[in-house]
Amino acid sequence: MILLCGSQGDYDAMAGKPGSGKPAWTGADFAALGTFMEAFNRELAESGELVETRGLTAPAYARRIRLQDGAPVITDGPYAESEEVLAGYWIVDCASLDRATQIAARLTEAPGPDARERAVVDVRPVAESRDELEP
Amino acid sequence: MPTPVVEDLLRALAPQVLAALVRRYGHFDLAEDAVQEALLAAATRWPHDGDPDNPRAWLITVAARRLTDLLRAEQARRGREQATAALMPAGDWITPADDARRLDDADDTLILLFLCCHPALSPASQIALTLRAVGGLSTGEIARAFLVPEATMTRRITRAKQAIADSGAPFAPPTASERGLRLAVVRHVLYLIFTEGYAAAAGVGLLRPDLCAEAMRLTRLLHRLLPNETETAGLLALMLLTDARRPARTGPHGELIPMAEQDRSRWDLAAISEGVALITATLRRRQPGPFQLQAAIAAVHDEAASAETTDWPQILALYELLREASDNPVIALNHAVATAMVHGPRAGLQLLDQLADDTRVATGYRFHAVRAQLLEMAGEPAAARVAYLKAARHTASLPHQRYLHARADRLTPTPVDRRTDCD
Repeated sequence: MILLCGSQGDYDAMAGKPGSGKPAWTGADFAALGTFMEAFNRELAESGELVETRGLTAPAYARRIRLQDGAPVITDGPYAESEEVLAGYWIVDCASLDRATQIAARLTEAPGPDARERAVVDVRPVAESRDELEP
Repeated sequence: MPTPVVEDLLRALAPQVLAALVRRYGHFDLAEDAVQEALLAAATRWPHDGDPDNPRAWLITVAARRLTDLLRAEQARRGREQATAALMPAGDWITPADDARRLDDADDTLILLFLCCHPALSPASQIALTLRAVGGLSTGEIARAFLVPEATMTRRITRAKQAIADSGAPFAPPTASERGLRLAVVRHVLYLIFTEGYAAAAGVGLLRPDLCAEAMRLTRLLHRLLPNETETAGLLALMLLTDARRPARTGPHGELIPMAEQDRSRWDLAAISEGVALITATLRRRQPGPFQLQAAIAAVHDEAASAETTDWPQILALYELLREASDNPVIALNHAVATAMVHGPRAGLQLLDQLADDTRVATGYRFHAVRAQLLEMAGEPAAARVAYLKAARHTASLPHQRYLHARADRLTPTPVDRRTDCD
């Protein structure tokens, strides 16, 4: 599983929110990112390695449920403005962890203002079965 | 790889072949699988062997053979054999298409549409099954159209077919008393397919098949089969008149352009003249309904040479009729906009205030976006700016957020405006 991370601030910049403190994206920036992501996904689909990919909406729309004094309490938008959280993921079925890492590393080439320094991508192997998690 | 000609032919024949099989044998679920396999066989063999003399008969023969196999396999598994004997040899009932037969084909396609839009199914299932069984799209294509994994769509379609089997619905047209309601469901499903495609047109995803074109093709088919149904004609006209604006609806980078700012020279004139002619002829029959009224509104917009010359009083009159016929929150908002264009922004804002208690309306981003637009018209930039930002918070769609933020950005607060109540 390849996990791409981003913060609420990154989403605000993409949405052109006034006063988000980061360079606002232009239409051309979006078009370039869209072209990159489509080519990236198409290559993975054509090589047969792509199982599934999804992008997530801004962390502001997240809800957190936790137990407080034995009762579930729901919090809207639980993350701090600059906290890096999951922004999108790819599940790939490929030869090795090294190959998955190679695929994930390409995401650092995604175009966008101020994107290269901030991009954080994680790779985590998916457990194949319950046996891998239990003794 | 089938040629486009073969592909078009197969998609036109698919519902007829499926209907013939279901009519003869029942077993909607297995028949559907059998037809898909026959289509696959045709797509791979016809380009090499040449088209058969009677493509429809060829497909029915192959699909019937496959269905026999599938039924045998199923029955073997259940330990029942007797029904196999009831299957007639496929060749016994294939006749070359003549005029009488073609009428049956048309009826079969219609029954198939009714079956796919069966009230026992959820709207999502109705849509998926209609696209698969009547539209002839593959499960993979439908999955991509709705941006869900193929396995999810496979399960959805399988469950839908099972639900039809469980409901015991016969392969027959609905009774006279049900017919009107069932037809309304079919039209609603076609409308949902169209709006899904229209909403997606601005997003990324070159791999998405054109749902608008498919919805229009199926609505055309329904209109041809039942030409006297005025609401079907209205739906087709609405689709034509809405889709006509598509080339002007997005900018070079996929950003949304509101109708007032669209380059009208890019609108599709052929689609507009077909839609206008259709809705004009239909309204003369004096059986108005919501789709016809919406088509009439779209026609008034499409016929205006510029946003400024739009005949708003006529649009307002149509929205007033429409509100009597339909309790739809989007229509209520559009009615407020039309009121503002005719009687001024204050009148529109007053209508919005009356809608503020309706949670279906007031919690959507559209409510705040319309309010912002009317406040801007009323000369209250600070309040408008607040409303635009609020609207942006109520949508998770980045293109919509970008549009609303850009609107807000143009309105910088001034000291005078600070007096305004900005909720």
